[in-house]
Amino acid sequence: MSTGSGTTFSHLHVASAYSTHYGVTLPEALAEQTAAQGANFLAVTDRDGLYGAVKHVRACVAAGIRPGLGAELAVHDEQYRPLGRVVVLAHGHSAGRGYAALCRAVSAAHSTDRDALQHGAAGHGTAQHGGAQHSAAHGATAGPSISRARLADLAGLASLTVLLGPDSDVGLAIGRRDNSDAAARLAHWQRALPAQAVVLEIVCHLAESGTVGSVTPATRMLALAENAGLPAVLSNAVRYGTPDEAVTADLADAARFLLPLAELETPQTNGQAWLKPAGAMRQVARMVVDAGLHDNGALERLLGDTEQLADRCSLDPVSDIGLGRPRMPEARIIGVTGDPVTELWRRATSGIADLYSASGSRAVEAAHAQLAHEMKTVEHLGFASYFLTVSRVADIIRGMGIRIQARGSGVGSVLNYALRTSSVEPIANGLLWERFLSPERQTLPDIDIDVESARRHDIYREVFRAFGSDRVSLMSMTNAYRGRGAVRDAGLALGLPDAQINVIAKQMWRFNARDFRRALEEKPELEALATEVRESQQLDLLVDLTAKLDRLPRHISVHPCGVILSDASLLDRTPVQASGMGLPMSQYDKHDMDPMGLIKLDILGVRMQSAMAHAVEEHHRLTGESIDLDRVPLDDAKTFELIRSTRTLGIFQIESPGQMELVGKLQPEVFNDLTVEISLFRPGPMKNNMPLKYLQARHGEVAPDYIHPRFEPILRETNGVVIFHEQVMRLFDELTGCGLGKADVFRRHLGKPEQLPEIEEYLRERALARGFSVAVIDQVWTVLAGFGSFGFAKAHGAAFALPTYQSAWLKTHHPAAFLAGLLTHDPGMWPKDLIVAEARVLGVPVLPLDVQSSALDYRVEDLANGSQGIRLALPELVGSTEGERARIAQHQPFGSLQDFRDRVHPRRRTFEALARVGALDTFIGYDRTRRHELLAHIQSLRGTAVVIRADQLAFEVELPVPRYSGLRESGGRTGAITSLELRGRTQTDLELLDLNLAVGSHQMKRFHALFKELGVTPASELGNLPGGTEVLLAGVRRATNTPPMRGGRRVVFISLDDGTGPVANVVFFHDAQERVGGQVFQTNYMLVRGRTRRSGARGVSVTGENLWNLFDVARQVKERHAVERAAAEEAASAAAYAAELAAHPVIRTPAHRTSGGGTLHQLTAAQSA
Amino acid sequence: MPHIIDAPVDVELSADGDPRAFIWNRFEHTVIGQPQAVFKRTRWWENEGTPTRIDTELWRLDASRGGEEQHRYDLRRGTDGSWTLALDWG
Repeated sequence: MSTGSGTTFSHLHVASAYSTHYGVTLPEALAEQTAAQGANFLAVTDRDGLYGAVKHVRACVAAGIRPGLGAELAVHDEQYRPLGRVVVLAHGHSAGRGYAALCRAVSAAHSTDRDALQHGAAGHGTAQHGGAQHSAAHGATAGPSISRARLADLAGLASLTVLLGPDSDVGLAIGRRDNSDAAARLAHWQRALPAQAVVLEIVCHLAESGTVGSVTPATRMLALAENAGLPAVLSNAVRYGTPDEAVTADLADAARFLLPLAELETPQTNGQAWLKPAGAMRQVARMVVDAGLHDNGALERLLGDTEQLADRCSLDPVSDIGLGRPRMPEARIIGVTGDPVTELWRRATSGIADLYSASGSRAVEAAHAQLAHEMKTVEHLGFASYFLTVSRVADIIRGMGIRIQARGSGVGSVLNYALRTSSVEPIANGLLWERFLSPERQTLPDIDIDVESARRHDIYREVFRAFGSDRVSLMSMTNAYRGRGAVRDAGLALGLPDAQINVIAKQMWRFNARDFRRALEEKPELEALATEVRESQQLDLLVDLTAKLDRLPRHISVHPCGVILSDASLLDRTPVQASGMGLPMSQYDKHDMDPMGLIKLDILGVRMQSAMAHAVEEHHRLTGESIDLDRVPLDDAKTFELIRSTRTLGIFQIESPGQMELVGKLQPEVFNDLTVEISLFRPGPMKNNMPLKYLQARHGEVAPDYIHPRFEPILRETNGVVIFHEQVMRLFDELTGCGLGKADVFRRHLGKPEQLPEIEEYLRERALARGFSVAVIDQVWTVLAGFGSFGFAKAHGAAFALPTYQSAWLKTHHPAAFLAGLLTHDPGMWPKDLIVAEARVLGVPVLPLDVQSSALDYRVEDLANGSQGIRLALPELVGSTEGERARIAQHQPFGSLQDFRDRVHPRRRTFEALARVGALDTFIGYDRTRRHELLAHIQSLRGTAVVIRADQLAFEVELPVPRYSGLRESGGRTGAITSLELRGRTQTDLELLDLNLAVGSHQMKRFHALFKELGVTPASELGNLPGGTEVLLAGVRRATNTPPMRGGRRVVFISLDDGTGPVANVVFFHDAQERVGGQVFQTNYMLVRGRTRRSGARGVSVTGENLWNLFDVARQVKERHAVERAAAEEAASAAAYAAELAAHPVIRTPAHRTSGGGTLHQLTAAQSA
Repeated sequence: MPHIIDAPVDVELSADGDPRAFIWNRFEHTVIGQPQAVFKRTRWWENEGTPTRIDTELWRLDASRGGEEQHRYDLRRGTDGSWTLALDWG
């Protein structure tokens, strides 16, 4: 195909930017450059892996060149002694054999025992190259490395070529001018590896003579190949596309070694490791050949052998890599013996019979009809196994007793519902199959599964076990440089002091690092930094370097939810390495899944699912009753009543202040209203003012505008406002008759402005033909074009609405269990202290920590009065260790303080904290007044605790806490020890200190008298006030939000909690923010003056006008009281004096002000003073 | 001892991209033999501004003016492609 004629050169050794902290050019740029330079082959050989492989192959296909793949790997011998780094290249046109061997080689390198490697390297410290010395010198652990024996196995059947270049043990020997050692090492390689698998790699960066990369070692390497009768190829060990990117590679080196550039022992020798065109590479070849004694044909042979190897390593994207060919797990793995399609039909029809029969025969018929429609596509696309696989995973999870909820467009499928993968019924909810899958949709379908967050890792392990670890892998994700990381690493490279970098890094947000310089010019808040940059050469450089690093891949980590499922060929198609949690993780990320035909399931941990599961469990524990949340009727009146009251704190998706307000305005009555509510509360619809339009139509303020009677069935559910993707699809279909699958393609293209004219032309032509008037078309097109990529798939909305409803149902009917779940799993946005406050308001007392009954999670307890309370969980004790908590849970109940100490052996700090918060009150007969004695007693304990084995019975010897006060009364001299720690502190203070929670009473309670005096409106009363009422509000800040607003001016929402009920939401607009200043973000305990603003039937918020620090106010009031008391005393004596004077009317009493009334004015007077 | 020249020169390149001749002081100097390119890295972070290259391109070659005795020279190519006669090694 190609020749060594010199018109083209094939690069065989190229690191892409996915060789993190090494390569700096993205694969797409490398492929484009290769094509532009007239070459037709490019191999990417990333360090330690195939991180950029899929992107590279796709880029090559796009650029019209042949892809090659390899990896630069460290190799060790049988004694784990390092043999340097080599390039392993896969052979092409081998039906994937070469690529599979490469994947396995990379995985093998990552599975090598690191300790053994470390040991081997330490025992062989004499003769390794710079990089190894460097990392050893800096205590780095050994990286991935493959044994030569394993590599030899994999290279069998002519699958791989191993390039021994300057970083191999052979090349390093050449570098030391030890030619005989080099020859011996080469002979070793030749004996170990199959014939023809070993090729020498000549690299010359035209460096100064005597340094790495000069012509001398290159020409010696060439001579070694000639002597050994081995082929040699020329490479440029490329790290970047163009010479100007060499600077970035310098930065990458500094980041890799964590050293400033000036201190690097082995910086790159020069800036010649770029993707040189054929002419430049030929020039290099000539200089290498000319520098030594080689025969006449040496130059052409070197270039010719290079091209020959490139031919051998050209991979066919389809037959070698399997690009675009989906691979599902084998039928038997998913429990299917016969034809998957038949099996799918069988399961789906029986599922329909089970799930729809209660809804009547019409519903059953409709479901069967829809199933037939969906199955047609499934069969056409050959995805039957996919659906069975996902449903198998769902079954596994459900079988573990774990809550599961499908999310995403897959919820629109009757098939998924019938298979019980999803629990939202799609037909009645108006969801569309075509939003999920259609013959027009070329990508693999995507079903997301939400599970209990606390069980996610258990699920992963079980899926690995059930499918076999050769078919399952976790997915990785590539983390790229962003502003702060980029400025830190650039600063490190320049050797700037940490403190200085930190100050700059803190300012790197809300703009892209690549726009750093422009941001400095434009952003007023960066003015100080801009001045510094103008004055400092180094900072000026920093700005440019930061921009260079931005967006480069930085490291990979395990994806938070992606699990890859495939057949037994998985490890032939993706290299894996260990993830943080120990399970193997693919080196490919989510962008690589679809091209590689890898099925990815998103199994996402959702805390609310854990919280709800906990609630159900607690209910079962106490009553023996089992609640099946998925079977709870979706029309419970009390549940909707609770939602409409806006007391939605703790309810999934609708607990934020903004959602509370929208819920208040919208007043949901049926399940679909929740779907609408959740879909409206998204950035796109919010920015487009869709909530307001919808609310006006919903509440009859404007008539719904359906544009045309034929659109009414589509738009009726949202009163004429287009909210859902599904509606856009139906509109397209109605207008053009294009079918829903094609309509979804149009919908997705609406977000691309360049596609709009084409869509518009098609739509106008077809709509006219289908009887729509130009006026109607104009109007509907404006709506559709304006919709853009905004809006929400109704399937998502409905999938979110289900846990919303379920959590609301639990809060309505089982508040104690639900709150215990919330407090245990902390799923929401609010601090736990507020959940505790909410529990108090709901009449569910939160019981204090007690070593006799507190568990590792929150437990519901039946109280003597017939109600339920929630027992605080042990993990809340600040500073306690996991071991201490486990021992408490294991050994409770305790017979005595002595028993507690002996079995738990708490650290002094934990012991005292437990006493302070009353967790040890059991040992003083729950007599709180004696707590200081208990604490003093604990503080006086000196000896070590008796260690009692876990299984040993306790000594039942009661050692009561001495009654010091009693002793004192009886005149004992030493009895007067009391703890100073409790003096002057309230119980609430102590709880906040040791638990971060105010359990006994609300932390605002101490201010309630003050509030009454000032005339503060309790948050619980706010709903009864008309709009425009001037009010004072007070409380502790629970949340601050600065949501995006139409018009772009920042609005600050503060949620205040005064302990009387739900939070009061105060909004500060721009003018008020100016008046209040930084306090709007800084003050946590505040008094606010503002006006009520009614929004809809139940929604009330307050527009803040002014804000004061509550402690300042309290102090001022206290001072005023003192003054008034003095004045009153003075007045009293004056009155007496006056009475006395009555007899002598010549003298007048001085006028003085009276207190009472008008507190607000006095307050403001005090504030302005 | 090398002689520092540091004068801009015009350089004629061969088809392979190697210098074939350069014109210095109006006289053409013809390159004899294979010139050798060397790229020397810089400590760019110590200088002002962000570099487009981290190395300097030098060509060491033998050349003679007319039929005169050949000298060894270092030619330096700037990032803009301009050439400087850096050293005359004699």
